[in-house]
Amino acid sequence: MTETTVSNPATGTPSLDKEGLRVLVAEILDLDVAEVTDDAHFVDDLDVDSLMALEITVRLEREYAVRMAESELVAITSLQGTYDLLERKLKEKGQAA
Amino acid sequence: MLKSLEGSWCLVLGASSGIGRAISLGLAREGVNVVGVHFDTAARDEEVAALVDEIRGYGVQASFHNANAASRATRDRLVPEIAELTGSTGGIGILVHSLAFGTLVPFLPREGWERPITSRQLEMTLDVMAHSLVYWTQDLHRAGLLRSGSKIYAMTSAGVVQALPSYGAVSAAKSALEAHVRQLACELAPQGIAVNALRAGVTLTPALQAIPEHADYVARAAVNNPHSRLTRPDDVAEAVAVLSRTDSSWISGNTIGVDGAELHAAAGAWGPAPTGTAGTTGNELKGEGR
Repeated sequence: MTETTVSNPATGTPSLDKEGLRVLVAEILDLDVAEVTDDAHFVDDLDVDSLMALEITVRLEREYAVRMAESELVAITSLQGTYDLLERKLKEKGQAA
Repeated sequence: MLKSLEGSWCLVLGASSGIGRAISLGLAREGVNVVGVHFDTAARDEEVAALVDEIRGYGVQASFHNANAASRATRDRLVPEIAELTGSTGGIGILVHSLAFGTLVPFLPREGWERPITSRQLEMTLDVMAHSLVYWTQDLHRAGLLRSGSKIYAMTSAGVVQALPSYGAVSAAKSALEAHVRQLACELAPQGIAVNALRAGVTLTPALQAIPEHADYVARAAVNNPHSRLTRPDDVAEAVAVLSRTDSSWISGNTIGVDGAELHAAAGAWGPAPTGTAGTTGNELKGEGR
């Protein structure tokens, strides 16, 4: 299995784009990219179990260099929810830096 | 005869928490280098880093990997790394399977649980907590890292024979795990490799605390254990160290209780003596009449 990198090659810092995120999630879940629509529910529509959910979280933390709080994990139930969460976290991080 | 474990390597699956953590530390104390696989969010980064420091504090090497031990991709990536580290110093002397990740919901709808278990959850639980032992053993064996004198331990539980409402999937996984242990023990016997399941008593670990109905269960176990205390992770680490200090593979294919005889103690019989009963002369068991 090849790992998808989402780093911005120009700066080396993680950049968030929804299509890159879609490819990453599809790879972790071993699904076709087309199945990971913006609003497909990870559990109800894509059959994600708690282990795969942890896999997604750990990969996102690593790829985007963010740290998820337990209370934020509820947002990781669809691509859109995940994207919104990451966008907010990266923005917070940018402000903190 | 008893050998020293110093300079050998162990691979602990589930190394960051509970019993796997205690075994990692316990073996490090015996001079064993540790490869640890754990799967945690970044919230536990500091805790894991402190564990690695503590292990290295015993003068041994520690190589920790945050990865899903049940995935093929993880094995494909780590086995060559492990070969690189350990291949010239005896391979993996001790493999410990201490993965506690599964779905804790009943099979049928029940008050307090709206959704019963799904096939995906049941399969995931069995895959992580049982079948992954077989896959790791296959891959390490293929890489020539399990050798005569090596030991394999899998952590089972009394849940194999005792049902709890949420524990159905894990109980099935532990039953399968014990069967895998027996099968691997026979298949690896010609190579002098011993495989055993260790059945810890009720032990207060993060995994146990994830079981919804654990509080009552723990309180009762503390009273029922004839040692009048719960099993501690260190009790299991001690057992692993003791059982490993031999090249013999004759103790193999067992489920070994590491529970202070808890499983055999009749419920309620070994706690503090009830007040106002049982005279000092004791009662005799009479064969007839009353």
